[in-house]
Amino acid sequence: MNNRLFALATSSIGRKALMALTGLGLIGFLVVHLAGNLTLLAGSDGAAFNSYARTIESNPLLPLAEVGLAALFLAHIVLGIRQAAGNREARPVGYRQFQSHGNRKVSTSSMLVTGLIVLVFLVVHISDFRLAARHPQGLAYMVHERMRQPLGAAVYLLGVGALGVHLWHAFQSLFQSLGLRHPRYSPLIDKAGRGLAVLLALGFAVLPVYTWVASPAKAAAKAPAESTSSAVSGPHDSSPAAATPSVTKEPR
Amino acid sequence: MSADHAPSSGMRLTLNIWRQSGPADAGRMETYHLDGISPDMSFLEMLDVLNVRLEREGREPVAFDHDCREGICGSCGVMIDGNAHGPEAETATCQLHMRSFADGAALTIEPFRAKGFPVLKDLVLDRSAFDRIIAAGGFISANTGCAVDANSTPVAKSDAELSMDAAQCIGCGACVAACPNAAAMLFVGAKIAHLGLLPQGQPERSKRVLAMARQMEAEGFGSCSNYYECEAACPKAISVENIARLNRDYLRAGLTTRD
Ligand code: FES
Repeated sequence: MNNRLFALATSSIGRKALMALTGLGLIGFLVVHLAGNLTLLAGSDGAAFNSYARTIESNPLLPLAEVGLAALFLAHIVLGIRQAAGNREARPVGYRQFQSHGNRKVSTSSMLVTGLIVLVFLVVHISDFRLAARHPQGLAYMVHERMRQPLGAAVYLLGVGALGVHLWHAFQSLFQSLGLRHPRYSPLIDKAGRGLAVLLALGFAVLPVYTWVASPAKAAAKAPAESTSSAVSGPHDSSPAAATPSVTKEPR
Repeated sequence: MSADHAPSSGMRLTLNIWRQSGPADAGRMETYHLDGISPDMSFLEMLDVLNVRLEREGREPVAFDHDCREGICGSCGVMIDGNAHGPEAETATCQLHMRSFADGAALTIEPFRAKGFPVLKDLVLDRSAFDRIIAAGGFISANTGCAVDANSTPVAKSDAELSMDAAQCIGCGACVAACPNAAAMLFVGAKIAHLGLLPQGQPERSKRVLAMARQMEAEGFGSCSNYYECEAACPKAISVENIARLNRDYLRAGLTTRD
């Protein structure tokens, strides 16, 4: 029986189904992550965002959630690379000429590339906000500091852009991989997927852009406002506290 | 065929054709100039004209597969200017006519490329991988007794239609050829839908999909990235809905069969 399950999970159709399921899980995470991010726009000089972060960080189940999330990412990445490598092997000799007539878009043929860009971005992002020591003035302050630098903001915009392109193909594709296709609802899924890709990309891009356009002054002004209040952030915490700056925060 | 030395009227073509003397040969593109081609000739007749001429010149004719020449057997199939079966939609190579090309055109003619379809010679492939996939389960085991009464086995109209749509697959391999991953999902999906939608196909449905998918992978075909190039290249316009059906039948069978 376990052999049967193993065969299912490692078959090419099974692997695609797992990619689809892990991808769906990651999309769910992104939606929650974005909702958390947008609290930065709440106009409370980051207080809402910081308290949101603290709520998550103080949840004792956070490490469990983080492990689960890391597993989702890892499975999705490994399966994706495995898939790309296997598919390359399936055509050892290529064509001199090839013309596309399918539903292929930039997003479709660049899934590996956009996926890898997102992966690199993920590493940067986690080291920025999850592994870095918490600044005494709080997470919101760190976000503003990061986004204020042109290079920092550019890296984030690039990562978020790659994510949007990735999702443009990903959403409808995951339904197909799970065998869910029907003339009645598939066109709707196509549209919803593209809408979701745009919304998520724009939503995540709001932070750097907002920081740039609206609030260099605000960022400076808000720093004292937020202060060290959270007892959680020690000077150098690799303790559960800093080790937890938010599930919703980092990977994306 | 008599047109081969009549440069009078007709189309002039430059043909860049893949030549490979055998499976072990590395192969190369070779260029041929041909004139006097009638726009009403089929693409394969154009190759016939070329071959007659090559033979007269004592050269090796270009090997290519064909049988029915009426778009139903699935024997023919080459890449023409990067298009599986050429530039016309829903048209097998044998049904393609030279009027689809401009006079003076330079055409690139290559074999379908896939690890699962090794080239035997020139444009001829070993497509027995498809036969082995069928042999793994693409059939219905039934005793052929006397003919049963009509309508003794009811089939819903929509199922019958979808099944017949899928049954149009001629097994030419254009789906594999056009797929960037050289995946055979549309071929296998068509067989799964064709047999799995009919009542007679139910007893072996789970066994069939598991065995055929396993064989598909063993033959070295890639996996599906949902490019849908296959559907666009298919001379019978088999829908990628059949791939979704294959996916869900496979997952269902994998999760529910008990033997
Ligand atoms: S030769 Fe039979 S389908 Fe083309």
